[in-house]
Amino acid sequence: MKGTELNYGDLEGFFKGLLENKVVDALVIPRRVGNGVSYMLVRNKDKITAPESVIFAPSFGVNAANIVKGWMIDEKIGVVAKPCETRAAIELVKLKQLNEESVLLITVDCAGAYANEVYAANYADIGDQVDSGKIKELSGKGVSIRDACAICDNRLADVGDIALAQANGEKVTVVGLTEKGDAALTAAGLELEDKELDRSAENEKIAAEAKASLDALPKVDSEAALEEFLRDCIVCKNCRDVCPVCYCKECFFDQPIGNPVGGDLLNLAEARGAIAVPANQLMYHLTRVYHVSTTCVACGACEDACPKDIPLTRFYPVLTKKVQEIFEYVPGKDVKEPLPFTTYEDDELEECLR
Amino acid sequence: MGEEKEDFEPKIVGFTCNWCTYAGADLAGTSRKKYPPNIRIIRLMCTARIDPMFVLKALLNGADGVFIGGCHPGECHYIKGNFYSRRRIAAMRTILKQLGLDNRVQLHWISASEGVKFADTMKSLAAHIKEVGPNPMKDEIL
Repeated sequence: MKGTELNYGDLEGFFKGLLENKVVDALVIPRRVGNGVSYMLVRNKDKITAPESVIFAPSFGVNAANIVKGWMIDEKIGVVAKPCETRAAIELVKLKQLNEESVLLITVDCAGAYANEVYAANYADIGDQVDSGKIKELSGKGVSIRDACAICDNRLADVGDIALAQANGEKVTVVGLTEKGDAALTAAGLELEDKELDRSAENEKIAAEAKASLDALPKVDSEAALEEFLRDCIVCKNCRDVCPVCYCKECFFDQPIGNPVGGDLLNLAEARGAIAVPANQLMYHLTRVYHVSTTCVACGACEDACPKDIPLTRFYPVLTKKVQEIFEYVPGKDVKEPLPFTTYEDDELEECLR
Repeated sequence: MGEEKEDFEPKIVGFTCNWCTYAGADLAGTSRKKYPPNIRIIRLMCTARIDPMFVLKALLNGADGVFIGGCHPGECHYIKGNFYSRRRIAAMRTILKQLGLDNRVQLHWISASEGVKFADTMKSLAAHIKEVGPNPMKDEIL
């Protein structure tokens, strides 16, 4: 692995260098909006100011991969984002919804994030960065990170092309994770040296914490429980629209067969005596959970987007994790690894069929 | 729901591939092999034609069981259709398992010459679904 160490203050120069040296044509990078955080698409380097105060901010608004989804362009876009967002972008590359050559994925360490509105409201206490100690302290005061972040065991920057790691308190460790990443760092004018980034001990600690949080999460473990859980769903499909890995050009549930109205609904009600409306609550979520079963990166964007505050993290990431386990597949880990539904082995899975 | 377990006759939706299991069912019939009449077979060209949404749709509309039958792995008429189907059904059953619904869905490999196996599978499947009981979603307002 090649890389170098930068002071936090040097990051502005680093990002400006990426644009200035035409390593990327544009950057998708977090920006400060009031006390909260949002993304911006930058082409003029002068628009980047004090990125160190915002790129590590423990706030989640949208998944950055969803911003670049379907951009089959030739220009190169640098995306500065958290590990779950980078992993979603890698899944999009595999799903042919993103051109691998047109993105430079720059991943930052994440300690867990607050919903953007919670972050903005408590900015005075949270600040620009947090560590696990600070998260515990704030959780004692009733300010908690998102459920999706609490159960996440992929918080360290180890995917994408470039990692911005906070391995050493005072400095940022910048390493290239791919050849493309190494080339970009060199082209941006950094002097690279051999750098090892071994954080297995830290990862073990995170995995244990994540496991405990997952076990503590209320379960949706029966059909009746699911019905109750989805009772308030208005089938607005926001969870689909913000999901980085839900990508069908024409969604089944936007077509007449998946979104019945009028006479079609009357016919269905005739057949069953009565049907629930809005129709297809269960069918919609069960279909969607199957569709994202191998690619869900557990970012929790669906929960944040739900206007009825249904805690969807208890459903999507939890159910899909088990599917990913039977295929021994971790979404977004390796761009070369085929998607589980596009490949097979001659002898497998017989225990899952009956 | 109102039905007693003893006189409960399950309705099972069966998806069978044209080349193996459907022919196997045909053989069971022409060989006069007796099996319970609970299954309603839908013939498809290949198990890979089955979108796992079909399974969901059947269950949500009150089917007590779902049966999927295809060629043995490695013997697919279309070379590898059943390999893909195996992955899809395994994934769908893994999701259903977490909601306690997986015991209503079974996939079996039954070739065109296995009429006896088809009849036996139908017997054991019908007995199993009777044991599991009626699908509560049949009478629910969904």
